[in-house]
Amino acid sequence: MTVPQASKVGLPLMNLVRFKGVPILKQLHLEERLLRTSSDNWCIVNDGTNAPTIVMGLSGKPSELLEVGSVLQDKVPVIKRFTGGGTVIVDPGTIFVTLICNRDSVPGVQPYPRSIMHWSGLLYNEVFEGFGDFRLHENDYVFGNRKFGGNAQSITRKRWIHHTSFLWDFEARNMAYLKLPQKAPEYRLARSHMEFVCRMKDYMTRSVFIDKTLKAMENHFSVRPVEVDVDASVHDAGFVHSTKVLMKHELEEALPISI
Amino acid sequence: MICRRIWRSYGRRWWLCSASSHTSPPPPPPRACQQKSPLLGFSSQVFTTDLNIPYDMRRCCFSTQAVIDLQVGGIVDVPLAQTGEGIAECELLKWYVQEGDEIEEFQPLCEVQSDKATIEITSRYKGRVSQIVHVPGDIVRVGETLLKMAVGELLVAAQTSENFENMKSVSSEICNSNSESSVLKKASIGGVLSTPAVRNLAKQYGVDISDVNGSGKDGRVIREDVLKYASNKGIAQEALTSSSDSSEEKECPHVSAEHGWDCEDKTVVLRGFQRVMVKSMTLAAKIPHFHYVEEINCDALVELKASFQNENSDPNVKHTFLPVLIKSLSMALSKYPFLNSCFNEELQTVTLKGSHNIGIAMATQHGLVVPNIKKVQSLSILEITKELSRLQQLALANKLSPDDVSSGTITLSNIGAIGGKFGSPLVNTPEVAIIAIGRIQKSPQFDDDGNVYPVSVMSVNVGADHRVLDGATVARFCNEWKLFIEKPELLMLHMR
Repeated sequence: MTVPQASKVGLPLMNLVRFKGVPILKQLHLEERLLRTSSDNWCIVNDGTNAPTIVMGLSGKPSELLEVGSVLQDKVPVIKRFTGGGTVIVDPGTIFVTLICNRDSVPGVQPYPRSIMHWSGLLYNEVFEGFGDFRLHENDYVFGNRKFGGNAQSITRKRWIHHTSFLWDFEARNMAYLKLPQKAPEYRLARSHMEFVCRMKDYMTRSVFIDKTLKAMENHFSVRPVEVDVDASVHDAGFVHSTKVLMKHELEEALPISI
Repeated sequence: MICRRIWRSYGRRWWLCSASSHTSPPPPPPRACQQKSPLLGFSSQVFTTDLNIPYDMRRCCFSTQAVIDLQVGGIVDVPLAQTGEGIAECELLKWYVQEGDEIEEFQPLCEVQSDKATIEITSRYKGRVSQIVHVPGDIVRVGETLLKMAVGELLVAAQTSENFENMKSVSSEICNSNSESSVLKKASIGGVLSTPAVRNLAKQYGVDISDVNGSGKDGRVIREDVLKYASNKGIAQEALTSSSDSSEEKECPHVSAEHGWDCEDKTVVLRGFQRVMVKSMTLAAKIPHFHYVEEINCDALVELKASFQNENSDPNVKHTFLPVLIKSLSMALSKYPFLNSCFNEELQTVTLKGSHNIGIAMATQHGLVVPNIKKVQSLSILEITKELSRLQQLALANKLSPDDVSSGTITLSNIGAIGGKFGSPLVNTPEVAIIAIGRIQKSPQFDDDGNVYPVSVMSVNVGADHRVLDGATVARFCNEWKLFIEKPELLMLHMR
């Protein structure tokens, strides 16, 4: 934060990967692979995923978080990701921004959840300044008191990942697949989904958002675009992936049974 | 034991300190703050996360408090370290290691989750996993023990920040109390250099360790110094041949017979499980017992066990009679809750316990121990089988946790596994009933025509506290239990 704006000397390197419409499962596999097997810093931007998908945190229980009956009926894929946090339903209107960093890369940021979260709030403050009443509230990005960005993290010994799904736009009916979670932020105040979230498109265009985000990154990192093969086999990674798609029977087990 | 308690109380104080140090003005940062946290977690400096503090002013949570990390017998309680300011607890997601694994420093041990983050917990020590304390799904408070590791015997005293620079890690071998490989600092307790095991030994002899001349490195007091001092003072001498865990020693009573005319009296100091038995049986002696004896036809039970074993595809599961006996016991207790209670003499009240935590007496080389299976009313027979096996393994390895052996509500003693027709058991205080079961034996019985046919019979003896239970209640309870054992299909009527 004390680095002079004019010079990039001394800023840590960051590889930038840009996608559009990549399936969220492939994105998560790539992210976990980069977290666990790379020693570079990475920024991944996926401008919308290809199809509506439910993504739960690592310890999420379908019976508590989803309307399992509707999910099964409509055959909506459900993924459990390798990071913590809550449940989202993502689709082409969701923009993903992921940061994967070495623990010492960012000055003043300690490898603890709140430290990383706080720093990310400062970063996005640079992005949204002038576009709305933006702030980091508890663990969400909000305009006013309405959430438009959800966060999740994973911290290992030497690195951390902080990834965000931004609701640039969403389908109201998709929200119906998600239950009101038991573990909700205080500021939610038992509001339903439609009263709790807002659309980023009411504040800025997609391209403006992505451009400003990349510009904010350049204030903290020496960013260089790279190409990666998102289709690279997950089995060659050298570790067992934690991200997985839930099978039908796993969801069926979450259905309440009555006689 | 005492040393561990001290560590825990200091450990708790440390956490209080770290919370309060955030709000007080920061102390001057220590010079060359290269210390590593003695606790599990991120094996670098521990910082508070207030970013309003300029970057170069990092606070060290240790700088103003004495933290003593003591270990007894080489086993370390490894807690969940602070994972971030204000985070009080995490959910344990999964283990990367299991009991018995050799662990390197910085090796990932497990993954926990707090709020939005999954966090990999790495090991501060090189050693061996001795006991996993929590299972995935458990909520673990910061500071609570996650697992126990064997890291060799060391005394790490971290009183002030200057001492941190001199701390060295120790080898992973489990040393006995004669090891001199660790670097010691003068402990704040008593001002004498020695290890916790030696202090324990001195205490058991009633010796003030500061009176003992230390012959070890840097004048430290070693085991032999204490024994020599005790012997010189005329305190009863311990067998010096014992090389196992110094907290438990057992003397075989037949040794003197083997030596014939060279018999000498040998006095054994009771420790560990034996000491616990002295205490609990002294209390049991105050209870007015009565005993109720019954015989149970186990033909159906034998058939059921065979059926379970035939359908069993899991090589790790071995079906025995006990789990069915335990489950049917729980069913009977639901109808006769007074047998699952505890008595308060002072207040003249009986507390009917909500959970059926059924204790199973186990004979180990370290003595009699009674771990209990918690909430049997909610467990299936298979779950009971697995839990029983888990407790048996731990008991044999002397690795039962305090939780495993506390909060029992009734005890089952399968003395028949060793021999005898049945026993006359003493109640395991503060419970009010205990059941000793004898061996299942083939017995001849007569049918209506006077023909002899074989029946598998098991004798049981229920020991009961006559202040709480009367003969009629115990008899009725026993009839109910007997019915479930003789007709196990009736268990299905009550299945939830």
